[in-house]
Amino acid sequence: MVTTVAGIVANGILLGLVYAIAALGLSLIMGVMGIINVAHSAFIMLGSFLALGLLEWAHIDPIASFFIALPIFFVVGAVVYRLIVTRVERAHQTQGLIAMFGLMVLIENLGTIAWTTDTRVITVGYSNANLTVGPLIIADAPLIAGVLAVVLILALRLFLHSTMVGRAIRAMGQNRDAALSLGINVRRLSAIMFGLGIASAGAAGVALAMIFPFAPQTQIQWLAWAFLIVVLGGLGRVESTLVSALMVGLIQTAATAFLPFDYVYLILYVALATILSVRRQGLRGVARRAI
Amino acid sequence: MFALFFLPSRHGQRRIVGGRLATLAIAAGLVGYGAMSSNLGAIDTLGTVFMYLVVTQAWNILGGYGGYLNFGMVTYFGIGAYASAVLFQYFGLSPFLTAPLAGAAAALFGLLIGIPTLRLRGAYFAVITIIITFAVQLLMLDLPFTQGALGIFLSPLAANPVFVERLFYFIFFALAATATTLVFAVENSNFGWALVAIREDEDAAEVIGVRTTAVKWTANALAAFMTGTVGGIYAQRILYIEPTGTFALDISLNVVLMAVIGGAGTWQGPVIGVPLVLLVAEALRVTVTSEVNRVIFSIIVILIALFVPGGIMGLLQEVRRRMRPLVRKSAGETMPRTGG
Repeated sequence: MVTTVAGIVANGILLGLVYAIAALGLSLIMGVMGIINVAHSAFIMLGSFLALGLLEWAHIDPIASFFIALPIFFVVGAVVYRLIVTRVERAHQTQGLIAMFGLMVLIENLGTIAWTTDTRVITVGYSNANLTVGPLIIADAPLIAGVLAVVLILALRLFLHSTMVGRAIRAMGQNRDAALSLGINVRRLSAIMFGLGIASAGAAGVALAMIFPFAPQTQIQWLAWAFLIVVLGGLGRVESTLVSALMVGLIQTAATAFLPFDYVYLILYVALATILSVRRQGLRGVARRAI
Repeated sequence: MFALFFLPSRHGQRRIVGGRLATLAIAAGLVGYGAMSSNLGAIDTLGTVFMYLVVTQAWNILGGYGGYLNFGMVTYFGIGAYASAVLFQYFGLSPFLTAPLAGAAAALFGLLIGIPTLRLRGAYFAVITIIITFAVQLLMLDLPFTQGALGIFLSPLAANPVFVERLFYFIFFALAATATTLVFAVENSNFGWALVAIREDEDAAEVIGVRTTAVKWTANALAAFMTGTVGGIYAQRILYIEPTGTFALDISLNVVLMAVIGGAGTWQGPVIGVPLVLLVAEALRVTVTSEVNRVIFSIIVILIALFVPGGIMGLLQEVRRRMRPLVRKSAGETMPRTGG
């Protein structure tokens, strides 16, 4: 019994860590820039296929791909920011939403053209290996993905709290106009922030690909999942996203131990609906209390 | 309480006269074509166009006028389809009779999910609607009376195929015409203006006395009813309902693409966007795959969001505005800049 519980907790935490990086980019971009990036999961999907491509063509291990993905997706994010987001960030919110929605549909269908709708898995040496700690058995792939997630979370948190640029980004999240009048280059920082959000999405795609099968057309489920975590946790804070992701991971592993997987989603949905109903203004109260 | 919403305005009546003849001519042409043509493929495609037109107009009410984008219209559609299919399965009722019930089921569901979600401001609502689609899809897989992934079979109508296709053509045509008229009425009513006020500035709208939550709930339930009704008839058309196909996210995405390309927030937008997207897709079907189609349309949507927020309709209005002389002398109208 104790072993079972310990196993559920360990696996739940590992899963939660990976979910945390899947949701982090969405949460930060939403909290700091006020943009709901519905194309977020499309970048997660691209990250998964980057890992697959690097593994098949260059025999690069997903662990390395995780770090390769970061700069690549940072650049992609900065480019998307310049090309699309700059034109809509001051416009009506629905306009930005529609632009990102178009981008999501575009990436998904380009992905389907390039890689078909087949479901893929990444198979490396440790994919089916287990680590045995006393009576506890933990699969290697989630363990490695979880460790990578911790590294990324710590790095992001350190960046946002201990560097000048990170602090400026947080200032911008709290009050964009005040930051602007203090001489902060809001545009450049927004590009960095957006790039970081997309970079973490791409890296999360690599980590998720180690654990779950993936296909271009299923990407939107990750948007739902990431958004659930963001809404449960509140916006823009690395810690709150981490906590709610760990909760979701634990709930999921605990529930899957006793219930069919389908119900996990329903449980989380009910939790979400409850939270939304209890908070009178929905999320608006926390929307601007970013980072 | 809602009677007040639908009072037509003088502004609206002036506009009716303009496009009335053209609209009537097109409608008459479509009725004639449906009755005369024996081209099964064309009738089938146009039937689908009308079906999508209803759903897109429904989306338009809350999405176009109210600025609350629903990325999960298929939820209402699927609930309608399932309501009809279940009523057929257990009570032998024809979906033609139960379509309003299907609409009512969807509307009830729309009200239920509206309570927590419509408190949220625009953008959150959009993503929540996607989550709800997944949740409902799972529910349909697991509920005892929906037969899970097996799905529900309906019996085909005992008539010749051309007649059946024509029947669906006219039913969907009538529904599309009704939906478009309804959206036209909304556009020119206090209800429509309340929605536009919500879209432009929800806090300000509330301050001037718009009951924002009630208006949003009404718009959402109305959209759910229209979409559910069409879903119910769709069940009879497709004859087989199962969770994956019925709750296909593609339907939700298509609806948004069509509305945005045509011009969200105008009654003409869906009338332009739906046929455009579907007929182009149909014409290109032989040469390119549906993914390539979707790539083209998604690029168009991005460009529209960036450069022409009003879609094709917005573009047309812009052109018309530029061609019109600055001073317009018509009865009862004063020039705004003279200051009386």
